[in-house]
Amino acid sequence: MQWDYLAIVALSSLTSASVLIIATLGLAVIFGLMGVINLAHGEFIMFGAYGALIATRAGMPLVVAIVFAALVTGLFGAVVERLVIRYLYGRLLDTLLATWGLSLALYQTAVLIFGSTTPGVGMPIVSVAIGRYSISAYFLFLIAAALVMLAATYLILTRTSYGIMARASIQDRDTAAAVGIETGRINTITFAFGTGLAGLAGGLLVPAFPATPGMGIAFVAKAFLAVVVAGPVTLTGAAVAAGTLGWAASATASYLSTVMGDIIFFVATILLLRAFPNGISDRWRLKL
Amino acid sequence: MPIAGTGVLIGLVGLLLDEFLLYVATSWIIFGILAFSLDLVWGKCGFLSFGQTAFFGLGGYLASVAAINLAPLTGNNLVWIVPVGALTGACVATLVGYFIFFGRISALQGTILTYTFTLILWTGSIGLTVAVGDAIVGGDNGMTGIPALTLGLGKDAQPLGPLGMYMTVLVIAVALYVFVSALLRRPFGLVIAGIRMDELKTELLGYDVRGYRLVIFIIGGAIAGIAGALFASWATYINPSVFSIVEALLVPIYVLVGGRGTLVGGFVGSVAVGGLSFWLGGGVIGGQTTLALGVILILLVLFLPRGLIGTILHAVQRIRRRTRIPGVGPVTIMVPAGSSCETTPPEIVSAAPALETVGLSKSFGGVLAVQDVSIAVPPRGIRSLIGPNGAGKSTFIKVCAGMLRPKSGSILLNGTDITAEEPFARVRAGLAIKMQVAQVYPDFSVWHNLWLAGFARFRNEAAADAIVETVLPLIGLSEKRYLDGAQLSHGERQWLDMGMVLCLAPKVILLDEPTAGMTPDETRRTAGLIQRLAREAAVVVVEHDMEFVRMLDAEVTVLHQGSVFAEGRIEALRRDERVLDIYLGRRQSVKSL
Repeated sequence: MQWDYLAIVALSSLTSASVLIIATLGLAVIFGLMGVINLAHGEFIMFGAYGALIATRAGMPLVVAIVFAALVTGLFGAVVERLVIRYLYGRLLDTLLATWGLSLALYQTAVLIFGSTTPGVGMPIVSVAIGRYSISAYFLFLIAAALVMLAATYLILTRTSYGIMARASIQDRDTAAAVGIETGRINTITFAFGTGLAGLAGGLLVPAFPATPGMGIAFVAKAFLAVVVAGPVTLTGAAVAAGTLGWAASATASYLSTVMGDIIFFVATILLLRAFPNGISDRWRLKL
Repeated sequence: MPIAGTGVLIGLVGLLLDEFLLYVATSWIIFGILAFSLDLVWGKCGFLSFGQTAFFGLGGYLASVAAINLAPLTGNNLVWIVPVGALTGACVATLVGYFIFFGRISALQGTILTYTFTLILWTGSIGLTVAVGDAIVGGDNGMTGIPALTLGLGKDAQPLGPLGMYMTVLVIAVALYVFVSALLRRPFGLVIAGIRMDELKTELLGYDVRGYRLVIFIIGGAIAGIAGALFASWATYINPSVFSIVEALLVPIYVLVGGRGTLVGGFVGSVAVGGLSFWLGGGVIGGQTTLALGVILILLVLFLPRGLIGTILHAVQRIRRRTRIPGVGPVTIMVPAGSSCETTPPEIVSAAPALETVGLSKSFGGVLAVQDVSIAVPPRGIRSLIGPNGAGKSTFIKVCAGMLRPKSGSILLNGTDITAEEPFARVRAGLAIKMQVAQVYPDFSVWHNLWLAGFARFRNEAAADAIVETVLPLIGLSEKRYLDGAQLSHGERQWLDMGMVLCLAPKVILLDEPTAGMTPDETRRTAGLIQRLAREAAVVVVEHDMEFVRMLDAEVTVLHQGSVFAEGRIEALRRDERVLDIYLGRRQSVKSL
């Protein structure tokens, strides 16, 4: 095997891992800070993807369209929190089912509006040559984007006053309320933040993956597993889990087949859960 | 029996339906059986499984492969696909369940594990194309030519028509319902309900929760497998979509729509959702119905969280309860001097310690919470464990009970090393624990709370009845025996919890702050009760309240920063400057340690 082949496999696996991290962050934020499993996460990604698509069609440059997608999705998330989620705090399974209902409804609405397939956004055509192979520069950009998103989210949640209030609310809601934090408002912001990250993911991914109403399902199952494998240190844990599992699956896929890659992903998940019944970050000392 | 009547009624309705509707309605009952299997596992035993469709699909696939290949050998009779489906579901559920429950995987992680298992089957089955004898498992294209269910025998045996299939499936559904309801009668059903309400407490009564959970999971797997076999022979076709994410999530929806924990809820939900989709046009999934289903799901969770049947049952129960509350007298703890509550025959008291720890240590992420603690407790009498906040008292108690694993050291119960034993095994060996927060089953009556403990100890219904009658007056709750745990006051719950410990007739009792939050009067009565217990068992009491410790008049061990700091009578310790220092937070002695 040639060095350039190895390099290209390593890079494309890294891209897959980054894609999964991008798709997982929003889910991890909402689960980690609110204890809500958002099964509609995939549809929020889809929402962002269509947002970016419409924005580019209207003539916005891609970068602006991506930011626009994140904002619109976050706003929509805030509305959903006000209307549905806020009545279900502390009822893990009920939120799971309600967000699944939301996922079904959003999916079907998208089918009604856009049909089941849509042309994608053209990916910026710049590629980087590695030996005899080449890789799209956009994939390398996605690797960087994953790192920036992770770092920014971590800093926002640990260094800003909003982040500290949000983490206080999840640790002890009553105490947080007693010291004057408006936990209701914080929850709305957190949900909007998490869904905004999903929208950002949609916007970032739409040049590489075609926007379809069902695109979310492909990401959400794996993102969901990564978050659960992560355990208590949700954000960093989920990033590590998504990165490792996504990388292993993609590397397997390049040597064997996509199906084997997926099976490796799921089997690794089961083995990790067996080895760490409370998640891989059970004994970590990180805060988030 | 109401269920037989309902079954006959649904059968009669079948006679009125046209063939197409009969055919479709049969599928609702089949999915009802599938949802029923989940309600048993989730509604009754508290474990949400996304694996029911995996057992369903595997049962369907395996029964179909067998049916295609073996139909001629069995004279075209295909009744045996039902047990094949059941066996497949049960075997796979045994593997998955053993992995989850005996691996002590936490609830959410376990649920996700079943989900992952289903995803593996989905991904795997799409790519898989193999021929097993005459059967062709065709990957994404599915498996066709599955013979329909045939009851007759011989060359002329005809497969069942729509009406015959409807009736057969209905009979199987009723039979499964009757079987499961009979199984859930007391005492097994009571233990299962206990696990659902409070898994830890049930384990601390000495029940092997893992085993009970596994049994229920296997039965659920078998029922789902039966549904799968019926489905494949109903549709004469099966494909990987039975393992899909949407299918896996649809089953809990059926249960929720009908009402979780009602057993009939699964059937009602399946018929309601199936009927609604049918009415709206289109199949069970797909078409415009998805939008309607999604919205209905959100509305249900928000406005009718108990489901259709659950809401009705809840209303009926509330009316009944309102009319049944007996007169409530004043609560007194009667501790008649010299009277007997002997649960174990008096033995010759040996001098050997009942509970002994040797060099016990426990750390949390580098912090030593318990450090090299060696304590020996004699078989009778009280030992008080005191110390300031964070001294490691509760951790010590939890390590003794097996809820936490020690880092090093060993625990001996009557001379036997129990360091590696599971918590329930320690309880069976005679060690009982009452945690700081009273653990009582909120939806059981006082009587049933105690009974479950008594049954754990004696494994005999009559003996359990008897011990409950003995213990009720001791904890002063005779008058309130019909009230639910949730209806008791704080102090009463503490006593009920202690009563449950009493029903276990233990040799060693660990009490973690039994008087937390009690009034002085309640505290005084509790002291009386503990002194009564100490005549027959070794009692270790963790306390904060020095006044209470003085009341108990017992040997005292002082813990400080995880280690034994001093031991002796309370009067002596009260004069010990060093003990006063750590309690008052004075520095000089602490520093010299």
